[in-house]
Amino acid sequence: MRLNILTIYLKEMREVLRDRKTLIFMVVLPTLVVPVLMNIMIGFIVRAEKKAQTETLTFAIFGAEHLPDLANAFSEEKGFEKVDIPTQEAIASAIEENKIKFGLVIPQASREQFESGEQVTVHFHYNNASVTSKVKNRASKVIYEFGESYRSERLAGLGLDTPQEQEHLLKPVTIEEHNTADMREVLGERVGGMLPYLFIIFCFMGAMYPAIDLGAGEKERGTLETLLLAPIRRYQIVLGKFFVIFTTGVTAALLCLTSMGVMLATKGKEVTGELGEVIASVSVVDLVLIAAMLIPTAAMFAALLLSVSIYAKSFKEASAYCGPLNFLVIMPAFIAMLPMVKLDWYWAMVPITNISLAIKELIKGTMNYGMLIAILGSSVVIAGAFLFFCTRWFEREAVLFRK
Amino acid sequence: MIEVDRLSKSFRRHKQKGKSRRQKEAREGGKLFYAVHDVSFRAETGAILGLLGPNGAGKTTLLRILSTALKPSNGTARFDGVDVVESPLEVRRRIGFLSDNTGLYGRLTVREMIEYYGKLHGLEQAKIDERMDELFGLLEMTSFADKRNDSLSSGMKQKVSIARTLIHDPEVIMFDEPTTGLDVAAAEAILKFIESCKAKGKTVLFCTHHMHEVDRLCDFVVILHKGRLCFEGSIEQMRSETGQTHLDKAFLTLIDSSEVNHAA
Repeated sequence: MRLNILTIYLKEMREVLRDRKTLIFMVVLPTLVVPVLMNIMIGFIVRAEKKAQTETLTFAIFGAEHLPDLANAFSEEKGFEKVDIPTQEAIASAIEENKIKFGLVIPQASREQFESGEQVTVHFHYNNASVTSKVKNRASKVIYEFGESYRSERLAGLGLDTPQEQEHLLKPVTIEEHNTADMREVLGERVGGMLPYLFIIFCFMGAMYPAIDLGAGEKERGTLETLLLAPIRRYQIVLGKFFVIFTTGVTAALLCLTSMGVMLATKGKEVTGELGEVIASVSVVDLVLIAAMLIPTAAMFAALLLSVSIYAKSFKEASAYCGPLNFLVIMPAFIAMLPMVKLDWYWAMVPITNISLAIKELIKGTMNYGMLIAILGSSVVIAGAFLFFCTRWFEREAVLFRK
Repeated sequence: MIEVDRLSKSFRRHKQKGKSRRQKEAREGGKLFYAVHDVSFRAETGAILGLLGPNGAGKTTLLRILSTALKPSNGTARFDGVDVVESPLEVRRRIGFLSDNTGLYGRLTVREMIEYYGKLHGLEQAKIDERMDELFGLLEMTSFADKRNDSLSSGMKQKVSIARTLIHDPEVIMFDEPTTGLDVAAAEAILKFIESCKAKGKTVLFCTHHMHEVDRLCDFVVILHKGRLCFEGSIEQMRSETGQTHLDKAFLTLIDSSEVNHAA
């Protein structure tokens, strides 16, 4: 009996492995997409940050004569280049045209205010649309340092000689931070939603083509009828086919996970500082637990896809059904990426979303292990129910010989 | 011996537009549609039984029931006393089924595919190898036995299907329009093959639209029309009962008269 299932499994597996389309979705894409995506993203961010940090900032200044020291501070600072533009009103358009990065306007009253010890307001014009923009940071640093040198002078004039006395006046109350969220949690929250989404999508896509081939494909080629005439039980056919689809789904998801693991282990070492520590803190056990979450997911997909596929009469029809099904899978995985969705007992009951959230928690290192077991258990039960349905579905003449 | 005993198969009818306006067919009972209705006949061991009928007569459904792919709604059929409803697996071991549209697994080689069916039929590897050698020699398939099914011509594919049908040496072989779409040479090969089955004492159930094939091969003929049995007898009886010498005309006459009988 078990031999029949094995016979079917081996034969289907052999066929699947000879199909280029399946191999692409099962092996090539999952292995390559994560490293490529990570490389591109990291490379892009690093380059953008570097550029923002080192590029020469062109600027225009008006009213420099009212506060020459500040204007000098900019011309002495590296990485700033003064550009002349006709009028103060042209600042906005000059920024728009990328002639200057920022414009500084020092009001006429500044000198008087400054000399009498009042507060001076300078106007800073810039475009803050880009997330990686460092214009404000870099420019305000110059202004702040300029102001600071005068502040100490003024405080000394008030009789506060030592830096300590000055500090006490400036900051009567200070805060010492004790953040309970470590860096891993913070970063895990940011990237942790994206990864399970990828794993789940690949798991589904890896299972999809073989499923269509093994169900609707047999119908379309006319091989199903002969297979049904073999002296074996239909549930054995279902199980043989199910395990093949399951294998391809799991393989795709695990390859994606493994390639991420390898990326972290190799590339991760290049990353220093807090991010490096975070990467180092993701242990092999965490990865194994993530893999464990993906196994019932693959089983769910395999049973579901096989049921849909065997109902369809042709590749085309099966593909048409898989489209909306794909959406049904992506939605719950997507929900888990939303910032307000946290893993609690409510979300732990939603299939796929719970898997996605649990993987996120594992990456963050904040998994509630009781919940983990509940999610694993419920997913296994759902997968089993789908599989049971699939075997019953296979017994139906209306499904196998649909007109 | 094949015994078909008051076999019926009904399907739930799909709602169709204009159905109410059309005259109700005799095979529609309430919400059910009878693809096969109360059919009985027998075929002796070693005989070739021709199963005839116009398109949609219920031939394929009948063959599917006999091959255990479908379950009958009523009645049953037996192969040497083995019941299709009670022991379908046992029946499947005894029968081989070949139709014009049975496909092959394109990404497997001929040998891999035949071996697969041998295993599914529970044969030992040694027995499979022995049977494959025998069949490949008989059907002149050795030259392409290790090619992928995808790369074969339709004549070669037909041979693969035959080898697949025979790998477990079945006692009863059913052919569902096996020559449809084949050229004269390939069709002739199939007919010769059916003759050789008879020579080996196999029972053959042969379903076709070509009357010259019937004339040449069949010992006994069963005609289905609109799901019901409308004739059962020898080819001579077909001619004598209708007074037609051409088998095509005899067939049409029988169909027409059954139409009249139903209307009456």
